[in-house]
Amino acid sequence: MKIFVKVFASLRKKYPDISDLNPLEMEIDKGTTLAQLIARLNFSQEEVKIILVNGLRASVDDIIKEEGSIISLFPAVGGG
Amino acid sequence: MEFGYMNKWLKVNLTLKEFKDFSISEDILRQYLGGKGIAVHLLWKYVSKLEEKGINVKDFDALSSENMLIFATGPVTGTRSPNSGRHHVMALRSPLTGSIGSGNSGGRWGAKLKFAGYDGIVVIGKSENPVYISIIDGSVEIHDATELWGKNSIETSNHLRNKHDKRRAGVSCIGPAGENLVPMAVIINEEHRAVGRTGLGAVMASKNLKAIIVEGNSKPNIAKPDEFGLKVKEHVEKLKENGVTGEGLPTYGTAVLVNIINQNGMLPTKNWQTGVNPEAEKISGETLTEEYLIDKHPCWGCVVACGRKTKVDKGNYKITYTEGPEYESIWALGGSTTINNMAAVIKANHYCDIFGIDPISVGSSIAAAMELNEKGMIPEEDLQGIDLQFGNADAVVELTWMTAFRQGLGFWIGEGSRKMCQHYGSPDLSMSVKGLEMPAYDPRGAKGIGLNYATGNRGGCHVTGYTIAAEILGDVDRFTTEGKAELVKIFQDFTSIVNSSVNCLFLTFALGLDEYAEMIGPITGWDVNSDELLTIGERITNLERMIINKFGITGKDDTLPKRLLEEKMPEGPSKGQTVDLETMKEEYYELRGWVNGIPSEEKIIELGLK
Repeated sequence: MKIFVKVFASLRKKYPDISDLNPLEMEIDKGTTLAQLIARLNFSQEEVKIILVNGLRASVDDIIKEEGSIISLFPAVGGG
Repeated sequence: MEFGYMNKWLKVNLTLKEFKDFSISEDILRQYLGGKGIAVHLLWKYVSKLEEKGINVKDFDALSSENMLIFATGPVTGTRSPNSGRHHVMALRSPLTGSIGSGNSGGRWGAKLKFAGYDGIVVIGKSENPVYISIIDGSVEIHDATELWGKNSIETSNHLRNKHDKRRAGVSCIGPAGENLVPMAVIINEEHRAVGRTGLGAVMASKNLKAIIVEGNSKPNIAKPDEFGLKVKEHVEKLKENGVTGEGLPTYGTAVLVNIINQNGMLPTKNWQTGVNPEAEKISGETLTEEYLIDKHPCWGCVVACGRKTKVDKGNYKITYTEGPEYESIWALGGSTTINNMAAVIKANHYCDIFGIDPISVGSSIAAAMELNEKGMIPEEDLQGIDLQFGNADAVVELTWMTAFRQGLGFWIGEGSRKMCQHYGSPDLSMSVKGLEMPAYDPRGAKGIGLNYATGNRGGCHVTGYTIAAEILGDVDRFTTEGKAELVKIFQDFTSIVNSSVNCLFLTFALGLDEYAEMIGPITGWDVNSDELLTIGERITNLERMIINKFGITGKDDTLPKRLLEEKMPEGPSKGQTVDLETMKEEYYELRGWVNGIPSEEKIIELGLK
């Protein structure tokens, strides 16, 4: 199953070329959880504070269900 | 009051060119704390005085000599407690909105005012000629400022620091926009830090007051220095360990929010026609850091350092040094207008700093003008050859300075989007609340912030009650309306404490009310807990509300633009959403003890405001 991953802020230290305009295309098995995806990307769960699947909040135990899903990963961010 | 405060306020009457000291009793300080709280207390007393004189406050002109302008610090300002260089400024009435005038700024001016020997300054009247005030080591003087009139914020600040031979002095001043009485003019301090909202620069200018320079060697006494030192250390550690204050903000600045807000489908785009900006990456914190950042720039006593020193190396918008831009400025100037051009945003933001205008209000009003033009509402002769299309970066940069100098269409932009959209026959295109342009979060994607915009006393503002921290950056369901009334109330009252302490709102990403009690207790010697602080915050919010009620602002004004209430978000992760404001508002009024936006008699008595 094909998905698209976007990483932001300090998570780009590992993936400097991945952005909103240039997402990472990945093949995953059906039933893959976000925790498994995060591990595959070599991030720890502590590093990834906010996960969005197609713009909606998700948690590490959620399974990625849809083909073509956009997964956005953020560290702790804030401002205003 | 022996500890935490300088025990001295300055009252300046510019009509008479007279000034005198006064003090605030400990009883009042315990009820209102400092900063915004004391300013609101003084404004309420002033309202009573005006009414005794038979003046109808409802008709009060914000640019009349009788408007009161207050610069205020609090017990935490200027202490070793982190991020305490800030100050709060208020005016009885805003020329932009007609509601209360209120703004808060970083920099170092707040700390320096206390070192000069004062907790705050009250300015009334109007000088015949341009003047500036110097407060240096407790000595106050009013000087002629004719030669400063017309100078921008950098020239003014440098001139005064050189003249007084005080290289590290704090200088608050107005730029040409203030002098031109642009209703969205700001007060700038340290050249790039603004008391940004509600047009307080125009109020200062209407008094012919160009600047206030402050410097000195006094320090507030601390009641329990050992305990305080320990708490400072603990708080600094918490700030360093927190992902937002320890890494996100220092590395990327406030612009780190551009991508996450856009990924949630709530980054207002094309004057809020959608919440999705496909090119937001180009104006993100990541792009700013990679391509334009020179260095970080902390405010006085700051351990976070979200401030940015920036440059544009080449092209039409080349600039060798400036500061910012912040998330809200980037969005208003570059996102809502959909120019998605960081270099142009940096240039326009620089104009906002040096000429002294609010980037949120000017950017948002330019975006509204673009939509007016898209709909054919602006006559061609008013455009004077400007190609006012969404996405035109040159038009944004040009209209920014034209607004400061009231040139062409810049006149109407400077009046704010509410008046401009009324003038061009489409009032619903103004994305403002109570006449104040809303900031960069579409509440169709986070309902609590919508209730906060609607009920904010100064108008459509995020820093009155920043529920985004819970709804987007935290774990609270962003689409539900359930529980949002309580969330907004707590955020608003806590923020009143931050603005009365006075220190930086960003501390609250890592520090809660308990930590505020841990600061204020040892500084003042008071036995104070978080519940008591929240009650003080509630008292301030209510008294501020009682002032705006005097202007005739009530429940009918606690609303949102029609677009957010009726037009469904057309695309993206927040697709199909509107804001069900009435449900939340009813619950909010119930919790507040308000009837139709007016504090009830019981609430007024309960808070000791009778």
